[in-house]
Amino acid sequence: MSEMPAPTMTEPTVDPSVLAATPVDAPGTPRPVDAVFTVEQLAFFYGANQALRDVSLSIGRHEITALIGPSGCGKTTFIRCLNRLNDLIPGTRVEGRIDFNGSSLYAPGVRAIDIRRRIGMVFQKPNPFPKSIYDNVAIAPKVNGIRANMDELVEECLTRAALWDEVKGKLRDSAFSLSGGQQQRLCIARAIAIRPEVILMDEPCSALDPVATIRIEELMVELKSDYTIVVVTHNMQQAARVSDRTAFFTVDVSEGGRTGMMVEVGSTEQMFTAPSDQRTDDYITGRFG
Amino acid sequence: MLIAAPAIAVIVGVFHQALPALGWQLFTKRTNSTGIQNAILGSLLFLLGVLIVAGTIGVGAGIYLAEFASGRTERALRFFSEVLAGMPSIVIGYIGYVTLVVEFHWSYSLLAAVMALSVLVLPYIVKTTEVALRNVPSALGEAAAGLGLPRSATVRQVLLPPALPGIVSGLVVALAISTGELAPLLFTAGFSDNDPTLHLFHHQVPYLTNVVFTDISIPGARAHATAAAAGVVTLGILLVLIAIGRILASRARRNTARMSL
Repeated sequence: MSEMPAPTMTEPTVDPSVLAATPVDAPGTPRPVDAVFTVEQLAFFYGANQALRDVSLSIGRHEITALIGPSGCGKTTFIRCLNRLNDLIPGTRVEGRIDFNGSSLYAPGVRAIDIRRRIGMVFQKPNPFPKSIYDNVAIAPKVNGIRANMDELVEECLTRAALWDEVKGKLRDSAFSLSGGQQQRLCIARAIAIRPEVILMDEPCSALDPVATIRIEELMVELKSDYTIVVVTHNMQQAARVSDRTAFFTVDVSEGGRTGMMVEVGSTEQMFTAPSDQRTDDYITGRFG
Repeated sequence: MLIAAPAIAVIVGVFHQALPALGWQLFTKRTNSTGIQNAILGSLLFLLGVLIVAGTIGVGAGIYLAEFASGRTERALRFFSEVLAGMPSIVIGYIGYVTLVVEFHWSYSLLAAVMALSVLVLPYIVKTTEVALRNVPSALGEAAAGLGLPRSATVRQVLLPPALPGIVSGLVVALAISTGELAPLLFTAGFSDNDPTLHLFHHQVPYLTNVVFTDISIPGARAHATAAAAGVVTLGILLVLIAIGRILASRARRNTARMSL
């Protein structure tokens, strides 16, 4: 008995015409055949301030999609729309459409906490709970009533997060006794303990040293056989190293405000060698940002 | 200096006046003899009662305000909490007398006294509980939300444990405040030369601040010394509580500092 609580969303029915209607991929880019997310004309508002506009892209299953762009371009705001974490901030509003496995993520009757169990998240700063290493991994399965053998589940998740060998002798120690990189891998283990389909990562390495960064990147590549990964990063080498597809965001300051927007999306190789938009090229070659 | 001098003067002064009465008989004899045993027991009983009544209601309301309330309920709760905080203690005692002692026919009793004291310290407990929860780094709440944990489980399992030292230290300081109170008790507790009982109603309860108040107005050096001795014991309880509160508060600060990486 290790089943998840019944999800409120219906099972995937990917309508090919929805994918074909997404207009912004660079020409000649192979689209993801099997899209986990299909985003159309997404806009996001903090009260009266528009933080994000014109985001349309598909996110392929078992792919790593990197979101790059200068500060304030709405990458983090966007990734937090994908698991409805922005719902926690009063006065925010979403326009446009996000389909998750073919059904609208923001449809009435879809509960945010059910969504977040299927779409895990790893944050910019490692944020383990002030509990033992073991309890950090076990807390979400316990609360969600997963009746698996907890010891096995914890070992499996820590192994999957490439942390088991370092912590197996001290599972009852505080999570704060770990280094920053270990804490971040613990947060990954915690996220996969409820068996999500997607892992969202918001600059997961920005607080880590280069060695810890490489370990997380290796881990991401290993994990993509089981999970779909969306990663926000400031580090273009990181995007180039790990991702299959890359979306470039920028800031539009033309109308007096600062609104983030997506410029283009395509295969990582093509985005870094022959982007179709001049702004992407400028950013990648270091002329701004 | 301006703060330390009066504090030291009060402690030394009271101690000096109490000297003739200090001794073990304080703790073994009652107020009809040369001790204050019954008053000490009564005061400790009040502390226990306040801990149970005000502790439960105050911590509950603080958690509700910090994590669940919004809009009109939040504003209403905050308003009433502020009204209570500004209420003079003598008025609280008088209202306790009119309603509990007279109207409810509880007479001077343990429960009436505990209720009056609880009302007095309730806003303080609500505030410290709310602040302790708000001091827990928001990253923890986000992490819990990101895992799809329901609000109740998030509060119970993620936010409350790190806030606990802060909440408990607030409780202890609230107890310290109630230890030195006289006004709400004058109208609700009564007094007795016997040891207090656990009867909630109709049984008067002796307590320390009443000994100070009464014996100081009785002529005679012995009564004055007893009054001062009751003051010393009250101060002793107070200092112990404040020390515990401070230890817990510093632990709470260390907890928070450690979590904000």
